[in-house]
Amino acid sequence: MHETERPAPTEHAAPAEGAALAERAALAERAGPSRRRLLAGAGAAGAGVLAGGLAGYFAGQGGGAAAADGSDQKIPFYGTHQAGIATPAQDRLAFGSLNAVTGATAADIRDLLHAWTRAAANMTAGRLVGQDTQPYAPPVDTGEAVGSPVSRLTITIGYGPSLFDHRFGLAGRKPSALAQLPPLPNEDLDPDYTGGDLCIQACSDDPLVAFHAVRNLARIGMGVVEHNWMELGFGRTSTTTASQPTPRNLLGFKDGTRNIKAEQTSLMNDYVWVGRETDQPWLRGGSYLVARKIRIFVENWDRDYLQDQENTIGRAKVSGAPLSGGKEFTTPDFAATGGGGQPAIPAHAHIRLASFEHNGGTRILRRGYSFTDGIDPQAGTLLGGLFFIAFMKNPAQFVKLRQSLAADALNEYTQHTGSAVFACPPGLRPGQDWGTSLFA
Amino acid sequence: MHIDGVGEGRGADGVGEGRRARWLPASIVALASLALLASACSSSHRSSGSASSAHTTTVTIDLTPQGCAPRPAKIAAGPVQFNVANTNAGAVSEAELRTSNLAKILGEQENLTPGLSGGFSLDLQPGTYKINCPGASQQHWNLTVTGKGAGPTWQNNAQLAAAVSSYGSYVDQNTASLVSHTQAFCQAIDAGNMAQAEVLYPKARVYYERIEPVAEIWGSLDTEIDGRWENPVTVASQFIGFHKIEQLIWADDTLAGTPKLCSALVGHEQQLLALVRSAQYNPLEMASGATDLINEAATSKISGEEERYSNTDLPVFQANVDGAIEVVSLVQPYLQHRDPGLLSQIRQRDAAVAVLLAKYKARPGYDDTGYVEYSTVLDSQRRQLSTAVNALAESLSKLSLQVSS
Repeated sequence: MHETERPAPTEHAAPAEGAALAERAALAERAGPSRRRLLAGAGAAGAGVLAGGLAGYFAGQGGGAAAADGSDQKIPFYGTHQAGIATPAQDRLAFGSLNAVTGATAADIRDLLHAWTRAAANMTAGRLVGQDTQPYAPPVDTGEAVGSPVSRLTITIGYGPSLFDHRFGLAGRKPSALAQLPPLPNEDLDPDYTGGDLCIQACSDDPLVAFHAVRNLARIGMGVVEHNWMELGFGRTSTTTASQPTPRNLLGFKDGTRNIKAEQTSLMNDYVWVGRETDQPWLRGGSYLVARKIRIFVENWDRDYLQDQENTIGRAKVSGAPLSGGKEFTTPDFAATGGGGQPAIPAHAHIRLASFEHNGGTRILRRGYSFTDGIDPQAGTLLGGLFFIAFMKNPAQFVKLRQSLAADALNEYTQHTGSAVFACPPGLRPGQDWGTSLFA
Repeated sequence: MHIDGVGEGRGADGVGEGRRARWLPASIVALASLALLASACSSSHRSSGSASSAHTTTVTIDLTPQGCAPRPAKIAAGPVQFNVANTNAGAVSEAELRTSNLAKILGEQENLTPGLSGGFSLDLQPGTYKINCPGASQQHWNLTVTGKGAGPTWQNNAQLAAAVSSYGSYVDQNTASLVSHTQAFCQAIDAGNMAQAEVLYPKARVYYERIEPVAEIWGSLDTEIDGRWENPVTVASQFIGFHKIEQLIWADDTLAGTPKLCSALVGHEQQLLALVRSAQYNPLEMASGATDLINEAATSKISGEEERYSNTDLPVFQANVDGAIEVVSLVQPYLQHRDPGLLSQIRQRDAAVAVLLAKYKARPGYDDTGYVEYSTVLDSQRRQLSTAVNALAESLSKLSLQVSS
């Protein structure tokens, strides 16, 4: 691949860009207060967060001082596990599912993954994909993130089941647990939002920075891979660390109260990280990513009376407390009864059917985002909902939970319209790259 | 694309309307700036400040009833910005920079009525030039350029120089064929033979679609020849050229009004022919034009927008690819030493496009085009074509650096 011949990127801006960048940096300084607050909370206790250093793309323009809002925080790219899984959930998502083009070879894929590794390491460190100094060549980096703080960007990649078919000689490296999901309740999958050979999950507190990452990786891949589908998420719907406040999804309810938290190391090992149980040693330390595009029929939901909404979820809407009583983080008492001897948390409430207590202990790490694709041109209603992402040791965990949720009262208001599963390799050490590891 | 020595646009009349014309001036301005950049080595910003004016010389030309004296009249070789203004010369409205024998226009600013100003910029090699202002009492004025040429060195490279020269012939030949095939199309129209006109329409179109980035240099001509309903404006009277005739024949099923439109079309093509015959190109323009052609195929052809009434998108899709690959073939002797990997990637991706296009070839095909009707190509098949041409365009976009540095 030609991309591999690009000049090595450098940490510092070409001096020529100065004025425009200073202006852009000043704009970035005036970032909205809500994000600033969130970040302050996240940054204080977030594990593995680096402060200081490069202030953002094209560092040095701001004098190297740490941004007051923490937007210059970088998440280390290298590590035991890929970043973007246990990382405290960022506010924004850009997610790409890509397929290899007809005629792409194993060498093409290997070179692409090598180039992606380098580009991802650069971007997550607040550097551009490459230095743009050639007046007669298209810029190596598309440029829209110049001046934007890196905002805890993480780039996580995964391999779909189809990558391990006959095309690239990878059949022998396919983990047995990696397969398309079986038909599941309440789904009507759109082929345009299903599957993929590869995925890129880019998360950042700055939507432009997340988008820039997916755009540039896809551009590097042109001629080898093409977008299968893409989604942008505008608000996180989960917490992945105890230090984060619980966000709300488009239902207006707190989401992720009982999610696994990164601090719960034994739960992470038991339910999220692939371990010795896998038949493919290369995947140890990785995780499976299940993505589901879940449309929420918000107009119908918004017409439901409050008590029924709360009974559907099993929690109070404002406080997030379980209907069995207490506060948000009070453990739900699924045996508690209310007036008339009925269960306080109804039999078909979402949190009951989704709970590990109801599923033989099965848990997953949820890391989803709210999304919208605009308005349904036929119906005039919102095309939006939850872009569900979850990480787990084995996709069977998700299948079990989904099957339990066949009776979920929430199904009346939702429909799964897209689906994909990917095996995310473990983290890299400096000098390693995804391509060499996969084809080793 | 931008031709050596032709200024930014055709003067005060805008070339910026409409869909395709929208990116045209940007491309011209960008390349004009690039030429400056190359000569100015590391400075990336053009400004009126003293810091960078050491690289760019400004020549002021005031149009007066007496003439168009350049100030200064003697400058150093390199990038030059000509600022032209007309304060009170009613009979003089343009300034041209010409070669010393007056044979060729290198740059011009037209349509400056009193009160208007404008300009153009280009790289000048040492030598003597003429400033020409028709209508003035003294029409020709000398401009002397001294020193060592700071311009591009491709002229010193036999392979690139040969490629540029051959490309000029390619453009000339295709433009001449465009005129003659459009004349045949018009004859069928004049004879009231709609079936024959339908067959001859795509046959004429392909010559334009091979060289379109060149034609786009003269923005209004591109609109007059190849404009669509939404380009430049959705005003019925301004929708002329190929696609207006296409609409009448295929959508309205009539030849009424087409003879006049067709003869105007030929007139515009003949203007284009005169312009291309005196134009000079360079390797950078050829390379970026090749990318433009494939971008064109990837957007307006894939969507079916360009030939939306006739559904003859496939032959013009092929023409876009042919025009781009012609450039590759011409620079191949140079590129195979300079960057054999890029050359082989381009050839490989071109072959992939050819394999896909071959699926839709037919004899004699829809309207004798050699291809099936585009409306029969399914969305999933269009997606395959799109993926392949986008990959080709991505490779071609790397050509400009290789042939210009």
